Amino acid sequence: MQHPPVWLIAPALAAFVAAPAYAVQYLNIEQAQKQFFPQAESFALSPLALTSEQKAFVEKVAGVRMRYTRQPIWKALANGKQVGWVVQDEVFGKHEFITYAVALDMAGTVMGVEILEYRETHGREVRNANWRAQFHGKQHGAPLQLDNDIQNISGATLSCKHISEGVRRILALHETALK
Amino acid sequence: MNPITAASPQHGDTLTRARPLLGTLVEISVRGASTPALNTAIEQAFAAVQCIQALMSYHDPKSDVSRVNRSGTTGITVDPHTWFVLDTARAIAEASNGLFDISIAPELVREGYLPHHADLAPVDPAANWQHIELLPDHRVRFSHSLHIDLGGIAKGYAVDCAIRALQNAGIPAGRVNAGGDLRLFGEVAETIHVRHPGAATQLLPLCQLRDGAVATSAPYYSQRLHPDRVVTPLINPTTRQPCTDTRSVSVLANHCMLADALSKVVFADPDQAIAVLDQFGAHAVMIDADSNLPAHCRVRLSDSTGWHDALSEAAA
Repeated sequence: MQHPPVWLIAPALAAFVAAPAYAVQYLNIEQAQKQFFPQAESFALSPLALTSEQKAFVEKVAGVRMRYTRQPIWKALANGKQVGWVVQDEVFGKHEFITYAVALDMAGTVMGVEILEYRETHGREVRNANWRAQFHGKQHGAPLQLDNDIQNISGATLSCKHISEGVRRILALHETALK
Repeated sequence: MNPITAASPQHGDTLTRARPLLGTLVEISVRGASTPALNTAIEQAFAAVQCIQALMSYHDPKSDVSRVNRSGTTGITVDPHTWFVLDTARAIAEASNGLFDISIAPELVREGYLPHHADLAPVDPAANWQHIELLPDHRVRFSHSLHIDLGGIAKGYAVDCAIRALQNAGIPAGRVNAGGDLRLFGEVAETIHVRHPGAATQLLPLCQLRDGAVATSAPYYSQRLHPDRVVTPLINPTTRQPCTDTRSVSVLANHCMLADALSKVVFADPDQAIAVLDQFGAHAVMIDADSNLPAHCRVRLSDSTGWHDALSEAAA
């Protein structure tokens, strides 16, 4: 670097402030659908309720626990014909709650994965279903309060292990229920 | 409960997307062009990251890294991108006397951070970065049997490639953040935050950056508690053991690849790192958690003469 960096920590370093929980909304589900399948003219919601046999199959094949038996799924339709699937899913770790969407073609190949929302918190709220539930429905255009001060965090996020597991679960779900 | 605030990436003319890549979340943010142009640029930048992942993943048996590891002492031709990263890794290994060493793959496999590949030849325990030969025409061979992992440098390089893709697309300002390896460009300086090494959801404003990269290495999310010890993927190449300090190291440099690799050098040996940082025009900050005062940290900044306690300066 040509010049020494402009440090901000000198006066403020004594204590870390408990910054507000960090959250970003990247896309809502409608935007993700259009991005995955620009050729589609409509997306038909066809939510899936897994039977206990299907749930057991998913857990066995994917090697991960299936927390829900219901999954929001859309058929992408172009010229009246289905061209693929969009599956919405969520994963959470110790401090993070992530919703994301996966696009599958008719053969069940992953065409794309987009993060819809990323939220992190200091506490144990993320383990609490009611805390997570308050964000459901936010995808449908509800404006979120802005906090543009915290956009650049240098420091690891969680590994994307949970998302990889989630995608594996969705592929098994396609195998047993969407073929 | 405090209201949850969200930085909306759709704010103004800014577009932000995130995808799971490079074993982390890669976030790309752009502004200053039409929405279609921003969308196209983001797609090209993600494609650049995917290209680097395909070449340099240890997990993927088809990657250059896996091909080189299988080829061993026979030698093989690699992609120019891979060659460039290997060449930079060698320069940093040389400058740091091996405090940066890409031959630590066996230790990362041993600690459970990388998968075991049954088709690789056993390694020579005495082998290190010096036994990686970079030959003309992008050929690579090992003079002793070893396994490389580019996890400590390739993520930063992928960020650099994504930034180049955005600039080539004519975007005036943007940011790429691959799980803490971050680079931005444009006219406006932005505030960079780091995480508290002992309480990772707490954030500290670190610096203002207009055009450049910051990479942070810290064990807060990657460490694992074993019954008898703590392990992290931050392997000290000298001892071949994981570093377990409750410390966060951030390096600022022009390129994210340098920042990424140099953060490993600082982690391995802060004092020896001073000259290396200087040689590559980089700056670093070390943040140590204080076990007696959980909210407090010891913060030290580097310059060419050594480490300086930011806390004592502030108190003075």
